[in-house]
Amino acid sequence: MNDIIPDDELIARARAGDDRAFALLVERYESVVAATVIGMVGPGEDADDVGQETFIRFHRALHDFRGESSVKTYLVHIAMNLSLNALKRRRRSLLRFVHGEESVTEIPEHRPGPDDRLESRETRERVRRAVMQLPEHHRAVVVLRMFNGYSTREVAGILGVAEGTVMSRLSRAMKELQRTLS
Amino acid sequence: MTDHRHERPTPDDVLADALRDAAPDRFTVGFTGRVTERLARERTTVGNGATLDFTAALERHFVRIVPLLAAASLILAIYSWWGGRSTADSLLDATLHLPQVSIATAYTPEALFGEDGGGN
Repeated sequence: MNDIIPDDELIARARAGDDRAFALLVERYESVVAATVIGMVGPGEDADDVGQETFIRFHRALHDFRGESSVKTYLVHIAMNLSLNALKRRRRSLLRFVHGEESVTEIPEHRPGPDDRLESRETRERVRRAVMQLPEHHRAVVVLRMFNGYSTREVAGILGVAEGTVMSRLSRAMKELQRTLS
Repeated sequence: MTDHRHERPTPDDVLADALRDAAPDRFTVGFTGRVTERLARERTTVGNGATLDFTAALERHFVRIVPLLAAASLILAIYSWWGGRSTADSLLDATLHLPQVSIATAYTPEALFGEDGGGN
């Protein structure tokens, strides 16, 4: 039912104050935003907050949304920017509390969701952790290109960098991932 | 007989598949509810949803007004500097149109009591 109603109609209804229509949009695009946000900041409360904030910002911008980009790309754009901001904040607060020998690269534990089948859970977990260990700019490219399935050109548009930069970052990221996972 | 050598996936293909498979696809259970609750909370905090709109409108206008204010300040500064460039001691004095004040001029009867000497 949710998939039958076009985005435009749901947006028009949400603009008019229909929260149920907006909830349908949230359900429809949760997976894309989750892939971006969890891919960037890792699982946990931070990710949930950033995910919520993404949709809240989208709601605030509904009146300005003209549909020049798809809802998916619009949301991914917001999600990526908010994720990068969250990582900056995390870095700052970690730096404040770090004492010499303590590690800064702690990755939040993944709480298994209903999608996690036992046989593949460990592999997914390993891959996600490997992605989390990439430098932020490389991770952003991997998340958009591999998790969200955007083309090189689209990734370049979302991140505001040249296509060549996307390709070189992706190539380096893939090599690093091969090395980590092998 | 079919040659399967070319069908073997490369390490990059395997990694790409693993990455696609590892893409997180949802937040913790009840995410949509939390978003809608937060929306409702923001509305009630500010009253009937008007504040959200007001805040958004304020943000939009602020972004539009800032360049205008910056341009106006620059024009005013250039105007002040142009008028005071010959008399002022420094660029800053000229730009801010600061009058030249010295101890001597500050304590003249005119400065202390006004032009008519009565302080009015």
